[in-house]
Amino acid sequence: MLPVLHEVVPEGGLRPGSVTVVEGSPTLALALTAGLGERWCAVVGLPEAHIPAAASMGGDPMRVLLVDDPGRRWADVVAALTDGCALVLTRPPDRPAPQVVRRLTALARRNGCALVVTGPWEGANLRLRVEEGHWSGLGTGTGHLRGRRALVVSSGRGAAGPGRRVWLWLPAPDGTVAPAAETPETPVRAPVAVAG
Amino acid sequence: MIPPRALVVWCPDWPVTAIGLDAAAPAAVVSGALVEACSAAARASGVRRGQRVRDAQRHCPELVVRERDTDAEGRLFESVAAAVSGVTPWVEVVRPGVCAIPVRGAARYHGGGADDEESLRVHVQDTVVEQGFDCGAGIADGLFAADLAARAGEGGVVVPPGETPAFLAPYPVSVLGRPELTDLLGRLGIRTLGAFAALPVRDVTARFGVDEIRAHRLARGLYPRPPAPRPPLADLSVSTEFDPPAVAAEQVIFAAKSLAERLHEALAAEALTCVRIGVEVTGADGRTLTRLWRHDGALSALAVAERVRWQLASWEPQGEDGQEGGVALLRLLPDQLVADDGRQEALWGEATVSDQIARAAARVQAMLGHQAITRPFPAGGRGPGERLVQVPFGDLPPEPAAEGPWPGRVPDPPPAAVHPEPLPATVTDADGAPVMVDARCAVSAPPHEVEIAGRRHVVTAWAGPWPARERWWDPARARRRARFQVVTGDDRAHLLVFEGGHWHVEAGYT
Repeated sequence: MLPVLHEVVPEGGLRPGSVTVVEGSPTLALALTAGLGERWCAVVGLPEAHIPAAASMGGDPMRVLLVDDPGRRWADVVAALTDGCALVLTRPPDRPAPQVVRRLTALARRNGCALVVTGPWEGANLRLRVEEGHWSGLGTGTGHLRGRRALVVSSGRGAAGPGRRVWLWLPAPDGTVAPAAETPETPVRAPVAVAG
Repeated sequence: MIPPRALVVWCPDWPVTAIGLDAAAPAAVVSGALVEACSAAARASGVRRGQRVRDAQRHCPELVVRERDTDAEGRLFESVAAAVSGVTPWVEVVRPGVCAIPVRGAARYHGGGADDEESLRVHVQDTVVEQGFDCGAGIADGLFAADLAARAGEGGVVVPPGETPAFLAPYPVSVLGRPELTDLLGRLGIRTLGAFAALPVRDVTARFGVDEIRAHRLARGLYPRPPAPRPPLADLSVSTEFDPPAVAAEQVIFAAKSLAERLHEALAAEALTCVRIGVEVTGADGRTLTRLWRHDGALSALAVAERVRWQLASWEPQGEDGQEGGVALLRLLPDQLVADDGRQEALWGEATVSDQIARAAARVQAMLGHQAITRPFPAGGRGPGERLVQVPFGDLPPEPAAEGPWPGRVPDPPPAAVHPEPLPATVTDADGAPVMVDARCAVSAPPHEVEIAGRRHVVTAWAGPWPARERWWDPARARRRARFQVVTGDDRAHLLVFEGGHWHVEAGYT
């Protein structure tokens, strides 16, 4: 996992068999796939996930498997991919039944795979969401999007406990993820260059 | 690279032998008006290859002249090849009259060590002579030198390892079999292989073409072509017949899957793998459609079946009346066989796919089809969705993308979500009028409000347009688009695109 995310993900990262739910921020979900090094990740059921964004945060696009439309075989596809991938990022087509949740969690734990879910899930170990975000770089008709300071809030069971609140650049102006100050004294302004 | 040692069996004047003429009688085989080959007795009287028949008859009035019969040459040489395959099964017929075997395996089979090459040579020669054919046998580094060694001395010689260049040096350049090159080198004063080999490689590559460079390598004893032997009679293609002809594509595809598995097993049994696979579909009406499919190593049965499906798709529309349709025969032919060294090198210089990943991907492909699981590869384009192509797992990636520049590309950071189908949107200005972009990319008014999926958001910041005028040379496919970035009141950023008077949300940065 990216070192900068240790602030929000306790106990040193995503453990095998753990389920992390990311609410409402594809960027944050992709950031979790970015720090895998030589290991593979799979993206199941998120045809809109844009791999170049993960690549600019440090992920290796050559080690990504994409299953855009698993259809009714969603659970079987995720189960197959936990064997081999270090992380499976997925959105269930609908709220999965408790026995499916148990089966996938058990398989993931056995195969050493972490699950990141953007969607409904009962009994996740950790929930992450972006509570507040401030984009910079864009004026009125000038500049271009450069980065976003985001307040990432985590909540969960056990050690995750009462929840953590961390300001991150998500993404930073260079495309990566970086720690951010709570309130920038001087807001980052767009350069003068006019787009187009 | 020094080529592996090869033994070449050479039967002199094979076209004459094949026709059944005795070497002691003066005889010549002709094609047209020229002598193609002649017996030893005819040669002694002055008959030469390439001579006009009339000249040959002037040298040797009692000459027996026959038309060449290439079929008979091939047929009869099978008995020589069969005799040699008694020594080792790995016989490569170079052409009728010449066959080769790799020395290493044969020497081991023969029971001798590497120093026993002479006894192997004599053994092979005796084997062929016992069949009633005169022959020479020679051993050297590589086929080319071994061929010459088989013709040298009395019935062939063994050129010790490493001495091949010295052995080749005195031969005239004409043995390379390239008349134009021989002529050219002769005019440069280069008449022997040794002199040709002494030319610096750099100068040869600078002056000559690919064929001459290969000739130069030959002359230096470096020709890297090892005998590519195949066990005789091993036809590795597999086929299945449909009676009555299969009308449903699914039936053919299902058969293709099990055929591919059989082919896979047959290849594995021979420790071979193939670079390409040929699929031959024969219809009930006798039409045959053959395609070669390239594969980057993972010859999974499903991937083969999927290619058969594509091939059938291109096949079906031609059956006009639909009466005589149906597939009668399906054949899979392995092409470009190479020794299976356990793992094929990845073609694009990275071999990250482990067996475990390949297995997981194959399981998904078994559930959902070959194209359901993909890998992303970079591609060139202006829109975020165009910067990536998804290639089915196991297929070859496309050519590397053009490295821009792509004027009009929206600057990084890339969005995190690119909608597969852009979402319709409405953009209005402060007065509630739709915002338009004209042909010169002028915006009618600053955007004030965006409506996406029925929800209205105030625009707090925006930039654009980034114009993209694509394929203007092709009226049917030409597109003009203008892209905008907007941040809305709920702190979300979107990539909007204006085309043909309509707004869409192409991507989101959340």
